[in-house]
Amino acid sequence: MALMKIRDSKINIPKEAKALCEKMLADLEKSKKPTLQAIKCSLDNSIYNPKKGYLTPGDKRVTTELNVSSVLKLSRTIFMLEMLLNNIKTGAVNTKREFYYMAKGLIKGGKELKPLDFDDQPESDAIIDFICDFLQVYREEMNCFANDRGGQTYSKQLIVTETMADGEKAVIDLGSLGTSPFQPKNRPQSLKLKTSKKIDFCLVVESEGTANTLVANGFTKRNKCIIMGAQGVPSNAVRGWCKTIQTQLDVPIYFFGDLDAYTMQNIYRTLKAGSAASLIRNSDFSAPEVKFLGVLPEDVKKYDLHCYHVNEKNASDARTLKKAKDALTNDPFFKDKKNKKLADILRWLLKNKIRCEQQSLFSVDPTDQLMTEKIILEKIKNKKYV
Amino acid sequence: MASKIKTSSTAEYFAKNLQQVGFSSPIKAVLTTLKEAVDNSLDACEEHGILPEIEVSIQKIGKGGSKSTDLIKVSIEDNGPGLEVDTLPKVFGEYLASSKFGQGQCSRGQQGIGISAATTWAQLTNASGVMVLSKTKNMRKAIKAVIDVDIKANKGVYKKKDTVDWDKKHGLRAEFKIDGRVQLNGDGGLLTYLEGTTLVNPHLSLKYKLLDQDWVKIKRVTDDVPKIPKPTLPHPHTMKLGEFMTHSHLYGGMTLSKFLKNGFSRVTDSVIKDFVKHGLPKGMLSKTLKKTREGDFKKIFQAIQDSEMASPSTKSVLTIGEESLSKSILRLGEVDYFSVVTRRPKICDFKPVVVEVAIARFLNKGAKSEEQTVQLLRFANRVPLQFDKAACAITQAVETVKWRSYGLAQSRNSLPIGPYVIAVSMTSPFIKFKNASKETIDANEELVEEIRRALMQAGQKLGRHLKREHKAADLERKIAHIEKFGPILVNGLVRITGANKARKKRAEEGLRKILGRDAKAAEDQLQLAEDRLAAQKARQKEKFGDLRESEEAIDETKVLKTAKATPKKTKAAKKKASTKKQATGNSKKAKKKSAVKKKVKKKLQKKATPRNKK
Repeated sequence: MALMKIRDSKINIPKEAKALCEKMLADLEKSKKPTLQAIKCSLDNSIYNPKKGYLTPGDKRVTTELNVSSVLKLSRTIFMLEMLLNNIKTGAVNTKREFYYMAKGLIKGGKELKPLDFDDQPESDAIIDFICDFLQVYREEMNCFANDRGGQTYSKQLIVTETMADGEKAVIDLGSLGTSPFQPKNRPQSLKLKTSKKIDFCLVVESEGTANTLVANGFTKRNKCIIMGAQGVPSNAVRGWCKTIQTQLDVPIYFFGDLDAYTMQNIYRTLKAGSAASLIRNSDFSAPEVKFLGVLPEDVKKYDLHCYHVNEKNASDARTLKKAKDALTNDPFFKDKKNKKLADILRWLLKNKIRCEQQSLFSVDPTDQLMTEKIILEKIKNKKYV
Repeated sequence: MASKIKTSSTAEYFAKNLQQVGFSSPIKAVLTTLKEAVDNSLDACEEHGILPEIEVSIQKIGKGGSKSTDLIKVSIEDNGPGLEVDTLPKVFGEYLASSKFGQGQCSRGQQGIGISAATTWAQLTNASGVMVLSKTKNMRKAIKAVIDVDIKANKGVYKKKDTVDWDKKHGLRAEFKIDGRVQLNGDGGLLTYLEGTTLVNPHLSLKYKLLDQDWVKIKRVTDDVPKIPKPTLPHPHTMKLGEFMTHSHLYGGMTLSKFLKNGFSRVTDSVIKDFVKHGLPKGMLSKTLKKTREGDFKKIFQAIQDSEMASPSTKSVLTIGEESLSKSILRLGEVDYFSVVTRRPKICDFKPVVVEVAIARFLNKGAKSEEQTVQLLRFANRVPLQFDKAACAITQAVETVKWRSYGLAQSRNSLPIGPYVIAVSMTSPFIKFKNASKETIDANEELVEEIRRALMQAGQKLGRHLKREHKAADLERKIAHIEKFGPILVNGLVRITGANKARKKRAEEGLRKILGRDAKAAEDQLQLAEDRLAAQKARQKEKFGDLRESEEAIDETKVLKTAKATPKKTKAAKKKASTKKQATGNSKKAKKKSAVKKKVKKKLQKKATPRNKK
């Protein structure tokens, strides 16, 4: 059974994996230390190309050489690689946790494998990530998924078509789901989207709860739009789903979230340009067209929004401030002049040492449930976004 | 109408404020009584050049008068010089009667409060003062008496007095019956106190019996009685104006010049010239002190303070010494390894100070598990400090050292973690305590830094031991890796590539060769760590000689402790065991670890043999 593809990749994973193993074995035969090379996934190897709009990898590579310290990691790598290749061969799909237990089961069955045993799932997850890094493939392409879901999505106009593994097609009309959200599972990039009527915009809300409130108050009834909850730091599925909407529907996408350094750096930047940890996958897991609708510094003043003081003496706040400072000097996304206005927001936050939550808009007129909707629409209409 | 102003005696003040001098709880009362009596015994012995032999017994003899207390009999007997009949009431019943007050000597007792407070406590809780038995070398019979404190008059009074036969040549026995409670272990425990005292007094032979436990005997490890350095004259920079003027009254008829030279340390003719340069009117030098007015004293004092002077002499400071401390620490139990450091005397806040540190890992002692913080023993002038440790200079110093770099686990700004005992001893003729009960050393910045330096030096020595252990463990782990993972890796690669048996065999051999090289590198590192440790031990041996004698002492102590539990060994067997222990070193763990290298070598040789043959 062939699964829907995430991307058009020229990499033949089984062939590539076999070639790497062949080289390792040949090196061993010559008493030469085998090595595995992977792209260095860190900020110092990230390049922001404003034309592409997402972080891409630089030239730096991380080499893992076989020695007494790395022999455990490499033995586990080859062991897990064999399991993953088997899944690709049979078309079986598993979550990371299932792989963890499958590995434990195999280890239990083979006495000689006992030294490989994992104490906890993060250990096996790290090995899977390492395999993806040196093969330069997405985890999903290895038929391994996390239990993440694309954000809860609401729309009266959006129709999603999913082609199942057996070729059968499932059509989901989001307009017929009532107040229930549509939540795509893994590989949202493989879904086909169309609309029953022209959609004006897509609103990604940081808090899923606030997204639900807007919908319950009739936002999607009154506006031809898509509303999606981001669930905090966006998972691969949320990022892939956002990218799919951007690519297939060509509608403006706005992000509505807190005004704080954490949201700017960890949530919004990841959604828009990807992250340093996922350099090899950012091209398919970021939506560079997403605009930052707010909360903006000007909104704080205009609507007299309640803010929290960021206290430098508080260890957690101090860390946030330090990270924000680091981002301004080291993060290629914030350093690029294309994102100057976003960097200005970070500077404003550092200077004023405050943060403002998205829900504070509900304090503008507590008697009017539609006030937040009105403000959002007014901001879109007047182009008050970054 | 103004109320009548009454003057109270010193004894009245202390009788109402005994909590200030260590009698704030029933547990502390027992400990303080013991501590004051032992301090006095040790001081007296040292003053007269006697090697102290002290016997301590603490027994529950009934129910206490106040709630939740027991009636405790605290008995302390020494072989000191004994006290004369007219001195006994002064020592045991009069506050502030001391021969050492303000002298600038490194003695344990200073003010003459402690033992009188213990008598007062006995009197207040059990209606009877202290029972003493005293004999000096000039007496044919010993004096046996009960001494009370006359609280109104601040005087010691005999209640009963008799002469009795005592087979000792000289000595003193004091018995207090007090309300209290006994705590043996923990920070405020009696055992902690006795072991601490043993550690910093290598010349002490101690015998003790606590409650129903057997007698425990700890032998001295040195026959040298510490010579308490003579007090030095005060340094002018340590004085305030008022003190300076009061000090001058002792030298009334002298000229200022003579007074400065005879009444202070570090003042010479050239120093006086410097005082003149800084504003001391030259004419005053030849004037007598009696003719000097208050305003002039201010000028003189200011000029002295403005002048640069050599720091006070450090000759008045007493040290235990690394050798004695090393021997002494072995008396406390089975030590896995230890490091000791005695710093040179240093001036901190214009006071001469010596800091000594001992760090030891006991096999069956200290923190019970790897997760608990170390046991910290603090000493001031060789007296254990057991309460209020948080604000103490020693605690602050230990907490601010970065122990991780020496291989010990530590949370930020906390005591390190592990089965270690860290003992820090500070001796100085002028220790600044935070309170009258002398439990907390004032955390002066210079002093904390000096203690930190001593701790860091000891930490470095300890670090060498730990590094060797880590390297040995690392080597063992690496060897285990070769055996465990090699076949798994090769088999996995062979399965994925579909390689044949010949390739598999070649790959296995290649892998063994690669990892063997790594193991060899680890072995070299272990060798380097061992060489460094051996060099350190050689330096130690050169400095102190062999610590065998002290180990013998431990063996004897252990024999005494375990006499009941184990069948008696013959003398020859004991000697054999002792010799064996000397030959193999004092560490069972170290013995085990040294076997690792041999094991590894053997394995490597075994593995290398077929290839070599081929």
